[in-house]
Amino acid sequence: MDSRGRRSESEISFVVNGEQKTVHAYPTERLLDVLRQQLRLTGTKEGCGEGECGSCSVLMDGVLVNSCLVPVLQAEGSSVVTIEGIAAGESLHAVQQAFLECGGAQCGICTPGMILAACHLLNEKPEPTLEEIREGLSGNLCRCTGYSQIVEAVAEAARRRTTA
Amino acid sequence: MRANPSNYEMLAPNRLSAIVSLLAKEPGVWLPIAGGTDVMVQYAGGKLAARKLVSIWNLPELRRIEVASGEIRIGAGCTYTDLRKHETIRNEFSLLATAARWTGGIANQNRGTIGGNIVNASPAADSLPALLVYDAELILVSVRGERRLPYADFHTGYKKTLLAADELIQTVCLPRRFVGYFSHARKVGARNAQSISKVCIAALGRLTDGVVEDARIALGSVAPVPLRLSETEKIVRGKTIDSDLLLSARKTAAAEIRPINDMRSTARYRATVVENLVAEFLIRLNDDRTRTEREGKTLARWNRLPIEEAVETILPCCGSKAWAQGMAKRRPLTDENSVLTASDEIWRKLTPPDWMEAFNSHPRIGESRPSQSASTQSAEWSSQEQRNVGDADAVVKADLADANREYERRFNRIFIVCAAGKSASEILENLRRRLQNDAETELHEAAEQQGQITQIRLRKWLHE
Repeated sequence: MDSRGRRSESEISFVVNGEQKTVHAYPTERLLDVLRQQLRLTGTKEGCGEGECGSCSVLMDGVLVNSCLVPVLQAEGSSVVTIEGIAAGESLHAVQQAFLECGGAQCGICTPGMILAACHLLNEKPEPTLEEIREGLSGNLCRCTGYSQIVEAVAEAARRRTTA
Repeated sequence: MRANPSNYEMLAPNRLSAIVSLLAKEPGVWLPIAGGTDVMVQYAGGKLAARKLVSIWNLPELRRIEVASGEIRIGAGCTYTDLRKHETIRNEFSLLATAARWTGGIANQNRGTIGGNIVNASPAADSLPALLVYDAELILVSVRGERRLPYADFHTGYKKTLLAADELIQTVCLPRRFVGYFSHARKVGARNAQSISKVCIAALGRLTDGVVEDARIALGSVAPVPLRLSETEKIVRGKTIDSDLLLSARKTAAAEIRPINDMRSTARYRATVVENLVAEFLIRLNDDRTRTEREGKTLARWNRLPIEEAVETILPCCGSKAWAQGMAKRRPLTDENSVLTASDEIWRKLTPPDWMEAFNSHPRIGESRPSQSASTQSAEWSSQEQRNVGDADAVVKADLADANREYERRFNRIFIVCAAGKSASEILENLRRRLQNDAETELHEAAEQQGQITQIRLRKWLHE
């Protein structure tokens, strides 16, 4: 067996927010660090660094993941969406707009993760009940708002999308 | 201390055979990593002993769920989300689907795997008691071949298993012989998502003529390994469930466990909770008998009715003709779950005029006079649901009447709220908030409330 493996930095390619990217990284580097430090996508936040708080949530092939727990080698060939890829140019996504209007953001550290978790939820369940919204966001912790406005924002976004 | 990535190697072969030969070449050196929900936490904290990682994430050979006639074979690389979404697991192995739902938040459920949960061998893992009561078997694979063994034998001590250094868990097999059993799952913890349980229970039971024919009870977080309560099961089998049996079941269960004090709880608390959980399971098992008998009778009768009568019978649960026709067309419906799911699907697809028809079948909140289109059954349910409003004080009642009128002026229909369990002032608060909604938002909120009312009424219809 090739015991050298992939110890040294190697080229790892994946799509980020629709653009093909190739990075030079050690295979066990956290996707979170590669996104923030190499690709300068600092919208993705580090909270706990152990998968408990959801601040670093991104979508990987459409699936919500904690980017602090993804070794970048596992992202090879995938398509990653971060908070920077949610809006369409200058116009905000329905979820972002609803967060703004309902007061769903305060200090802002949990917000990118919350929004990605909400987008993931609405992709799976376009008309979620309040219970389903709470469950969909249960892995994302917020220490400011007390959650009510966040849950309300997601409900509001769902209503607008289904009635649009 | 943060780990330095340059100290680690990692490979991601795309075939299972390449992975097992890697494990065979240097046994114990390569650490398999699937979704990283355990390994990456240790890695980030600088606590990972292994320096060589081999990725088994998303390997097709490990991520299949095969439904055979006698058993279901779950690839060890299936995530909690895969388990939650699988129809056979939801229907026949609900304890496992429930445990998957309890494990972490959505992002961790999307990455954490059943195989990872098993090899990580935590006595607190939520899915392991379910595997015990379902008599799961594991298929382990290595270059030496495959071997199959009962999961009950796999965990030999705290974080110890029978997995050899060159082996990988390939498949988790569950025999399909627990259909018709009563299932009971409960997690006692600080919070459902993201928190590790203080105690959790997974239990199955079946009664014949009021006698316990079979009982299968397993617990997490009460011993060095997930624990099956074989002694307790033995003393309840063949008995009727009465207060004497509950007492001896409590005692036996308390004697079987070996709980510890740790950061999440104390041994004494855990022992008390275990007694209560076992008693709760037995009480529910007993209650379930009358409940399923009644549900079965109601549905059997309804399934046989001519379509017009079936529509007429179920109409009071909702009030919309189109909904009732949709439900009647879905027959035969055989249990509460399929009735509620069908109802929800049909309701969401209806048009606003159908919703309006349902709204109009209710009396105004706080008013006893039923609407003209309501059936006697619907009127009786309405008065039960609005019981709390009748008891409210005169000021709240008057405010409610005013707010109702304002709502009707604004939206041109009566105010719909799922009133069951709500006090008059809670309803008033809800009404005042919804007066701020725009027409479109409010229509959907009212429809959501009507959906909840329908679910409650369907349950009453099935069980009363």
